Amino acid sequence: MMVLPKFEYKKARSVAEAVTLYKQQKGKARYLAGGTDLIPLIKHRLTTPRTVIDLKGIGELKSIDRRDGWLTVGANVTLFDLKNDPVTGKYFPALYESLDATSCETLQMRGTIGGNILQDTRCLEYNQSLEWRTARGFCLRMGGSECNVVKGARTCFANYCSDNAPALISLSAEVTLVGSEGERTVKLGNLFTGDGVKPFALEAGEILTQILIPMKKTKGAYEKLRVRDSIDYPLVGVAVSAAGAKAKVCVGGVGLAPQVYDLKNAGDAAAVKEVADKASTDSRPVANATLTPAYRKKMVGVLLKRAVKRALAEGK
Amino acid sequence: MKTTKVSFQINNENVTLEVRPYETLLETLRERLVLTGAKEACGMGACGACTVIVNGIPLRSCLVLTPEVEGADITTIEGLRQNGNLHPLQEAFMEKGAVQCGFCTSGMIMTAKALLDRNKKPTKKEIVRTISSNICRCTGYKKIVEAVEEAARKTR
Repeated sequence: MMVLPKFEYKKARSVAEAVTLYKQQKGKARYLAGGTDLIPLIKHRLTTPRTVIDLKGIGELKSIDRRDGWLTVGANVTLFDLKNDPVTGKYFPALYESLDATSCETLQMRGTIGGNILQDTRCLEYNQSLEWRTARGFCLRMGGSECNVVKGARTCFANYCSDNAPALISLSAEVTLVGSEGERTVKLGNLFTGDGVKPFALEAGEILTQILIPMKKTKGAYEKLRVRDSIDYPLVGVAVSAAGAKAKVCVGGVGLAPQVYDLKNAGDAAAVKEVADKASTDSRPVANATLTPAYRKKMVGVLLKRAVKRALAEGK
Repeated sequence: MKTTKVSFQINNENVTLEVRPYETLLETLRERLVLTGAKEACGMGACGACTVIVNGIPLRSCLVLTPEVEGADITTIEGLRQNGNLHPLQEAFMEKGAVQCGFCTSGMIMTAKALLDRNKKPTKKEIVRTISSNICRCTGYKKIVEAVEEAARKTR
């Protein structure tokens, strides 16, 4: 049995209550939404909260609304419900495809969009049991002196494996964060620090409450490299959203933060090739996933070109 | 650590239990309620062997804390039999030989049941899509998909 360590369970009824509960725990708490990322992390003792604060009872985070030129998606909306909202397929095909490509149907019904964005970065040497990691020796991120994948490296190469954040970034989405200091809205692309120990630019106790997507019709596609067609995390993920000739491309699944590229003319094959080559060169995959770094690096460019081509294809 | 009181409905019966706050629904089902149909294989939400239906949604019970299901309506494989008759999915799995080692079977059936409950006439593609949520390491998917198709025909 994969047994959980001891912790307290608390259920918040409002965002304000959740923030207060977090404060009372003096930083030893974790927020729980669908739990599809958090519970495995706790089982592996990669995080050991004293209290788990359940956010699922917060009704205000469960709705999808159109407001002032934005689609506002509550963080508790499940991936499955967001995928099946007619607006998603009609306006944001890249997001529809990334939601559809996330894990499997059953986990899409449990996982939330907020939780999907804030999922922890992954590495074959990190997402292991405490016994495994103790035997291997702790890596940089667990408090060791160097990376266990790239010998001697003093930086973390874990992969950010959300399928949906790249799609949302290609759509210029923003996120609202609420903490004890109040509320702020930031560009989703600015949420990443590039620091392996603390991948998100969040203050302690801040809650991602909603995702704001500009209500603009786009063409788009999401391409995902994986071994199995179901359940797998992306080994490379490329999202493209285009409005007119201009497109935004976002590469995920490699490294700590999604990488964004602008295409002035998505119909210009030479320009697309140039961006594809640049994205492939920029990417720094290492031997911490189930496919080789060389193959993943090459596939960044291949999937980028494929995604642009499919996004612009007739009938999309 | 203090236990916490949780009440829910399971297979049409009301239960109230004192559970550990860090107890998974799978542990509660198997160890307190002796409903051992839901299996633990990976324990990490990847395989689907522990799938049960909570408020109409198939969930990996190894990822759910029991306090989370307060007030919920839960169905496990043990609750599928009605008046002594097996559920059409159970019949179809036997008829089609959709069982090899059997460890994934109850999860497969619960996932398929949630599909048939929301979609009376799933296409083969939809069935494959749904069933791909669950891992069968005997690689027997073909017969499992046939069994779900058969059960869908019968329950229509």
